[in-house]
Amino acid sequence: MKFLRMLILTLAAAAALLPFLWLLSTSFKGAEELFAYPPDILPQTFVWENYSGLWNAVPLAGYFLNSSIVTAVSVLVNVLFSSLAGFALARMRFRLRTTAFLLVIAAVIIPKEVLILPLYTIILTMRLDDSLAGVLLPFLVDGMSIFLMRQAFLSIPREIEEAGVMDGAGPFRLWWNVMAPMTAPAMATVTIVSFIVAWGDFLWPLVVLRSPEHYTLQVGLSYLTGTFVDNFRYVAAGGILSIIPVLIVFLFMQRHFERGLFSGSNK
Amino acid sequence: MFFLLLFSIVPMLEVVWFSLLNYSFFGPHEFIGAENYRRLLSDANFWHTLMNSLLYVLVTPVLIVVSLVVALSVRDAVRSASLLRLFFFLPVITPIIVVGIMWKWIFTEETGVMNYLLSLAGIGPVSWLTDHPTNMVSVMILTVWRGFGYYMMVILAGLMLIPKEIEEAGVLDGATPFTQVVHIILPNLRPTLLFIFVVSSASAVKLFTELYVLIPGVPMNNKTLVAFLYRQSFERFDFGYGSAIAVVLFLLTAGLSYASIRMMEERS
Repeated sequence: MKFLRMLILTLAAAAALLPFLWLLSTSFKGAEELFAYPPDILPQTFVWENYSGLWNAVPLAGYFLNSSIVTAVSVLVNVLFSSLAGFALARMRFRLRTTAFLLVIAAVIIPKEVLILPLYTIILTMRLDDSLAGVLLPFLVDGMSIFLMRQAFLSIPREIEEAGVMDGAGPFRLWWNVMAPMTAPAMATVTIVSFIVAWGDFLWPLVVLRSPEHYTLQVGLSYLTGTFVDNFRYVAAGGILSIIPVLIVFLFMQRHFERGLFSGSNK
Repeated sequence: MFFLLLFSIVPMLEVVWFSLLNYSFFGPHEFIGAENYRRLLSDANFWHTLMNSLLYVLVTPVLIVVSLVVALSVRDAVRSASLLRLFFFLPVITPIIVVGIMWKWIFTEETGVMNYLLSLAGIGPVSWLTDHPTNMVSVMILTVWRGFGYYMMVILAGLMLIPKEIEEAGVLDGATPFTQVVHIILPNLRPTLLFIFVVSSASAVKLFTELYVLIPGVPMNNKTLVAFLYRQSFERFDFGYGSAIAVVLFLLTAGLSYASIRMMEERS
């Protein structure tokens, strides 16, 4: 049994990692080696040219900057707003609360893919097409994040809220000082998920953006696969570079993220 | 809330309204009732892409089995479990465009590493990208690779819900690891697996970007509903017709999504 388990884990880890290593190895290969058959596992001569070549061929820094702006804004707004809205939905009594919650549910179940067309016409009338603001605006507030935060706030015991109120905390202080810190694992989940989604988003930016100087990294990369069909080395280098930011964020937050995922089920 | 209203409810209503119009980007629009839907029913590409989108749901059982097997194996491996979870999660965090690029390179037919490895075993060469339905299998492989780490995490969370005593009692009763899984773990894991089934099926129906990178050049009848929607709306600018496709897509996935969020609510 133990052997079988080790075998499964080794195979799964190899399956998960090998495509990455293959991409990494390709990104260091020279032009003549690219289509070598049988393929070389490691580059025969280790070259950095693909990275510098890519840098010269496309406005890579611009792509990175655009993706960073989109990601930073959408993660920040999302974490802050979903926490506020989640708190209000879980802990405050107000008219139309049920309606507001139904609205959140509706927003979750309507697929993004269904909405791209009307959203595009809205963005057109706002004259935000071909701009980062147009990429950002429709998805700044995310139903799923609000839903997750609401669940997190619901799970905080009543006594804590009462103790806060006894100490004279108003709703805002109750949220900021008392309760929001207790939802840290859920916030980590929202942060990571919205980071992954914003950084990797493709369909919507593809629809909105037209000029290369506005491209996000993913849109830029997808055009690169079209233009450099026979220069896969550049594309490989670009792919490797675009993984690094998500990897760093995930490494920083893995512990909190897993605690959020696993703690919800311990209750 | 105003935001959600403006950017999800209003456009949803708009999409339904557009689908009843003869609305192209360039021309005037006029009300034509169910004409777009009638046109859909007689459009061979609609039926092909609808069928393909539904066929991609076949990826779900494979995903569940793989994730379950890996989750059960990783659960008791105390040493380096965190590192292993990181490895399995890497494909999940990687941007989908990069995943597509990676696998396109692996599946490349003349010089790709996949066909090379298969040739060592005396198989192939397989036309991973150009043959239909083989290219669907390629997309499914990519989907399983990208998804199993996430669903493994969900299953691990579900496994923690099973009280330790039940499993210990099973061991005392002389249950082998296999009967343990079949009689104790699987029944207790049913809500979790059902949740995964619903989530994974909904995302299988919505596949698009994977195909956009992996098999861009194939004819429309090899593709999916979202690809068809994209073509009609943003390449042909036939907004009315595109909206009718979007409404069909909504009807296909809304039920699944609603079920998944209800399950999430019950769990906490």
